[in-house]
Amino acid sequence: MSAATKLHKTSWCALRQLQQYRTKATLSGSSASIAKRNDLFNQEQRRQRDAVGRIDKIEVRYLGLPEDVTLVMNSNISTPYNCAQHLSEGHCKRSALALIDGSVPWDMHRPLQESCTLQLLNFHVSEPHPVNKAFWRTCSFMLGAALNRAFKPEAGLQLHSFPGPNIKSGSFVHDIVLQTQNWQPTKEEMRAISAEMVKLAAQDLRIERLDVQQDLAQEMFKDSKYKSEQLPSIAQQTQGRVTLYRLGDHIDISRGPMVGSTSFLGKCTISAAHKVAEEGAAGAFYRIQGVALPSGFQLNHVAFGVLEERSKKPYHPPRPKTKGKDKRHSDPRSTSSS
Amino acid sequence: MIRTAISQLMGLRPSGGLLTQVRDKGHLSRPRLRNPQWFLRKEVTNRGDLVTAENKHFINDLVHEGFGAPALIKGVQTYEQNLIKTRDLATPPQTWTPQIRRCGVIARKIGQYPLWLKNGERIRTTLLQIVDNHVIKYIPPEEYVPKPLPGQRDSAANHKRGVLIVGSESTNPVQLTKEYSGIFKDSGVVPKKNLARFFVSPEAALVPGTPLNASHFRVGDFVDVRGKTVDHGFQGVVKRHGFKGMPASHGVTKTHRRAGNIGGGGEKGRVWPGTKMPGHMGNRWRVIRGLRIWRINSKYNVMWVQGSAVAGPTNGLVYIYDTILPLRKNQEAPPFPTSYEDSSEDVWYEKVHNFKDESIIYEKE
Repeated sequence: MSAATKLHKTSWCALRQLQQYRTKATLSGSSASIAKRNDLFNQEQRRQRDAVGRIDKIEVRYLGLPEDVTLVMNSNISTPYNCAQHLSEGHCKRSALALIDGSVPWDMHRPLQESCTLQLLNFHVSEPHPVNKAFWRTCSFMLGAALNRAFKPEAGLQLHSFPGPNIKSGSFVHDIVLQTQNWQPTKEEMRAISAEMVKLAAQDLRIERLDVQQDLAQEMFKDSKYKSEQLPSIAQQTQGRVTLYRLGDHIDISRGPMVGSTSFLGKCTISAAHKVAEEGAAGAFYRIQGVALPSGFQLNHVAFGVLEERSKKPYHPPRPKTKGKDKRHSDPRSTSSS
Repeated sequence: MIRTAISQLMGLRPSGGLLTQVRDKGHLSRPRLRNPQWFLRKEVTNRGDLVTAENKHFINDLVHEGFGAPALIKGVQTYEQNLIKTRDLATPPQTWTPQIRRCGVIARKIGQYPLWLKNGERIRTTLLQIVDNHVIKYIPPEEYVPKPLPGQRDSAANHKRGVLIVGSESTNPVQLTKEYSGIFKDSGVVPKKNLARFFVSPEAALVPGTPLNASHFRVGDFVDVRGKTVDHGFQGVVKRHGFKGMPASHGVTKTHRRAGNIGGGGEKGRVWPGTKMPGHMGNRWRVIRGLRIWRINSKYNVMWVQGSAVAGPTNGLVYIYDTILPLRKNQEAPPFPTSYEDSSEDVWYEKVHNFKDESIIYEKE
């Protein structure tokens, strides 16, 4: 289950871009609503690009190997990935996350706004905590996309949310709602979901970020019951703006930075699905858990087996410090604190 | 035609008026129709773990927890697994008959040594050490049906015997692939470096996890030992076929170790198939039948077998079976299905002079 061959490795940039942004999967949700959501996403992306107006230049001071250089880039257009392109292909492929001004984690494909210092982080740096967290968060995000592909429409899958990354817990998590109250996942089903994750990694899909207004986000997620409920409280914390991430056709709401592409996923096992609570007459909340390693990290099967066993333990996120706000991560029902 | 066919079948070839042994491969090249279950990638290509030393110790501790601490048992580095399996108490004890075929063992040829019989005769013996054998799996005859050889029909004889998979020499599973380690998951035995199939009668089936020791055999019994001969590589006819070659001097030009003539003329004026020529020598499976066991040491699981003709180099793997030679087969019951004792004694055949005994004394006249 190491990083599989990149299926779309061609030398034609346009074709590669197209294939990075589209997927060929059949989705269990309504295809029409997914397509509409993606249309709105594309429109907003284009609108934000057009709204830049006069292109201002910024000085980006790159610190790192092979040497510290100053790059002159375009404000609100150039991304850390573009800076890496000025350095080498190796930098583009290896950098998972950027660090602005030595402290602010930044997505690789998020436009830079002002002059800053830039560090390109990979998984082998001496201080890997921001990259590790971003990786864990990306795994949860990819798990949502994988679950969409894995389940049949009859299952009535609805993605709920995923809590913040907690690497020490031993697993990354995604909460879902299924229209069945007694789903006992078999080994083959878990393996199928893991296989979907590996397929996503093989497609090397770019993870794009977009800041939108709350009303556009409501419009995009109007078909999803749980996202519509969550959006007001999310927007309230971030001054009316909602951060969306897109991976292929899958769009989700998340706060923090993600790694640049799905190709950073190496060995991955989705290990457990615990029933958290019942929902309505026929449905229930399930917490899907898994563990993964970044690509390029070799681990023997005994050690990885230990990690898999640990990731099966039911995950209970730590109680949020502020009571009354954002209870959605501790309990999906958001009616009582866990 | 019939004469040549018969002599070919007997492994003999008429050559210069005499019948000489034909020691070729012994069979036509035939495809492996069903590979053994353990034909999987065994070792992981370790390109350098980025695991910290602390975590490596932790993983090793986990392995020791699961399989026992590493220990030197019967002279072999292995793990202290508590796998003392007695016979399967669910099934009633089976009685031995001469038709029953027992399990064999995997051993290493560790050297040769002389022994002296009580009549003063000196014999050459080969030492075979049974290194950390455990039964991994039993497959009953209904489930294991070998595909018959091409040109032969499936017969009832193929469906009579089950298969015991036996493993020797424990390894740390960290260095192995997950698929290979999976072979040992059911039995719970530490993953082994070497695996072998032994076709056994269903009455002689053993429980997975049973250790096999030298006491599986008795002194005085006869065994067949199968091994792969020493690989001599590409060799000329003098070494390979025992040709005499030509004189070193007296005018012989550039022909000292060559084959010389390779055929005649006339109607059959061509090189006959099977003509002895230089080529690859060795690295062939050979079974030597009917070797007597002169001595068994249970402390180190070593047995002394007759002769010095056991195939293979020192420290090479060999597979030991009860003999099929009709005049040397067991007449009375051997340890059946295996000996479950774990002793440290050194047993000598009655005809052999025990080194610890007094030497031969001549009576004063």
